[in-house]
Amino acid sequence: MNEGIMDCLRNAKSGAETLLDYCSGALEPARVAELERHIEICAECRSAVEAQRELWETLDLWKAPAVSADFNARLYARIARENEAPAWRRWIRRLTQPAAPYALWKPAAVALACTVLAVGFLVEMPADRHAPHAPSANAQIETEQVDIEQVANALEELDLLTPPTPSKATTSANPM
Amino acid sequence: MEAIAALERDAELMLRVRAGDDTSFGVLLDRHRAPVVHFLYRMVQNDAVSEELAQEVFLRVYRSRATYEPTAKFTTWLFRIATHLALNWIRDGKKEKGQESLNDAVEGMERQVPDRQPTVEQEMLYAVKLKEVREAIGMLPEKQRAAVMMHKYEELDYSQIARALGCSESAVKSLLFRAYEALRVRLRHMA
Repeated sequence: MNEGIMDCLRNAKSGAETLLDYCSGALEPARVAELERHIEICAECRSAVEAQRELWETLDLWKAPAVSADFNARLYARIARENEAPAWRRWIRRLTQPAAPYALWKPAAVALACTVLAVGFLVEMPADRHAPHAPSANAQIETEQVDIEQVANALEELDLLTPPTPSKATTSANPM
Repeated sequence: MEAIAALERDAELMLRVRAGDDTSFGVLLDRHRAPVVHFLYRMVQNDAVSEELAQEVFLRVYRSRATYEPTAKFTTWLFRIATHLALNWIRDGKKEKGQESLNDAVEGMERQVPDRQPTVEQEMLYAVKLKEVREAIGMLPEKQRAAVMMHKYEELDYSQIARALGCSESAVKSLLFRAYEALRVRLRHMA
């Protein structure tokens, strides 16, 4: 909006916005004067402004009808009916028909994410007890047990290979 | 300054409604009823449906009075609810069931030109033009239509429209530029 006008509306980065603001009466007075000076000398911008202004006037043809005279009465009747409804029904209505359109999906998304996590956790728990990890732990214990046995056997074998102790030798050499 | 005072007054009135003052709700209703109904009328192009949806807008405001916090402009909040309801109604396909035929434009026109007696020719010409305007607007994608209705007819600024549509201001500008460009092309022959 702060670019020098006019660099032509069509070339300026904010030209389209300036054009809209001018036609809707939202352009600052200083900018209006600047634009009006520019369109006096720039045929292209003058044409753009005229086209937008014509569109504006065409759209003005469409007037909305007057609101029904009993609008308020009907609304108050609905409010009264609601106030008479049971509290749980009013609570459900507030939940399913929120005043802030985005209010419902956010807690719903959080609830869904929590449910998915909880279900995932519950599904994963039994698996921990029975399948892949448990056997591997047992296998590790068995492996450790095997290793101890192997070591014991190896020691026995070593023992067999070991020459008799001097005490044994002494005993056997004893002529009695 | 007047606009700011009005906005503050809306918030103040709504805070009073929160405190249990139903008279203040009536004041808010009187102030905002017509813009909301007119916006919805142009969105759904159906007189009865627009009033029904507008009632729903105000009902939801009333329902949430207890939790109201003046964090945004009251008007923006209203139009956010109204836009949401209108877009849902359009998407639900109720449009086909309940929409007034565009041929009924003549009936609408009779209500809309009350200031002087038009000739039959003028009436017919007006009806044809009005039908074309409604058709051209009806052909816009929903979000573009909502943006144009709020900008052109309800005179909301870019930031208000952005909050009502749940998008950025630059996205709103982009929606508006494309919408007005499409309308210029479709309605060029009427100039």
